[in-house]
Amino acid sequence: MTPRSWLFLFCAVSLLGQPRPSPLDESAFQKVLAAHKGQVVLFDFWATWCEPCRVELPLLIRLEAKYRSRGLKLITVSCDEPEQELDAAKFLGQHQAPGPAYIKRVKDDERFIDSIDPQWSGALPALFLYDRQGRKVKSYIGETDLAALEAAIRKLL
Amino acid sequence: MKRLSLLGLAVVTFLSGQEFKLGGKAGDFTIQDVKGKPVQFSALKGDLTVITFIATKCPISNDYNGRMTALYNDYAPKGVKFVFINSNNTEPAAEVETHAKQNGFPFQVYKDDKNLVADRFGAQVTPESFVLDKAGVIRYHGSIDDSQVLARVRVERLRKALDSVLAGQPLESPQTKAFGCTIKRVKKAS
Repeated sequence: MTPRSWLFLFCAVSLLGQPRPSPLDESAFQKVLAAHKGQVVLFDFWATWCEPCRVELPLLIRLEAKYRSRGLKLITVSCDEPEQELDAAKFLGQHQAPGPAYIKRVKDDERFIDSIDPQWSGALPALFLYDRQGRKVKSYIGETDLAALEAAIRKLL
Repeated sequence: MKRLSLLGLAVVTFLSGQEFKLGGKAGDFTIQDVKGKPVQFSALKGDLTVITFIATKCPISNDYNGRMTALYNDYAPKGVKFVFINSNNTEPAAEVETHAKQNGFPFQVYKDDKNLVADRFGAQVTPESFVLDKAGVIRYHGSIDDSQVLARVRVERLRKALDSVLAGQPLESPQTKAFGCTIKRVKKAS
């Protein structure tokens, strides 16, 4: 085998090892939310093509690690198309995202977006913070002031 | 749900300082050509005008480059005017000019200094379109179609809106959710 073939094989095996995000639609979203009652949940809607999302996600992963023991849960939802699903999995793997990780797979985009937050246009990044009772406390659309987000999380913990 | 959506829209409108709203009249505004020369919208508009906020770096906006060109080629001969605006403070005029040339745009792209126009329209992402009639009333606001991936497009929303207005018919969906990259705005002093 040539060095190039070895490299190809290595890359292929690396990609196969990435946990793939699970599909998520509006009803699955409600089930996921209900399953995490008792925790403060931060949903991060992101995509591989969204540069601010790629900057923000590793910072959110660190934030979750800091407050995990106190009950913070970070749940990522990739809004990538099927063509980018592997890239999304790879990005999550590279940054050791703790999971659970989902990927938006819906019949009607507008209905899905409205079901999360009627004020949300679908613009990314988008963060939604829920308290321990599963009530949405705050939505952050666009690049987030992480200090303000951390303060909001601390208040809920 | 519809009532909630409208309520949400009202809240967003209030919070963002949006001035031009769906069903209301959009006033005149100033944009800049890629050489920095100020241009009045009133000098560019027609009986039917499409304003689309676009970007140079946003992959979603770039996925629409061909579709925007096709829209222009199909509707400009019908008298529709197109005004493409780049409001991203991270994308200077020279980059906008190069991007337009590289993509063979048959139309000009204007800069929106300090995203003042995006603010007045409440535009959030690229691409995001507005259709204005002869009186300047915003008849459609939203996405160009319903999928980033051309092969998965089911509804050509902007084309439907233009066809309806051109035919004097009411619009089936005057407001849709635009999807894409957030417009990179200037940081405002708090």
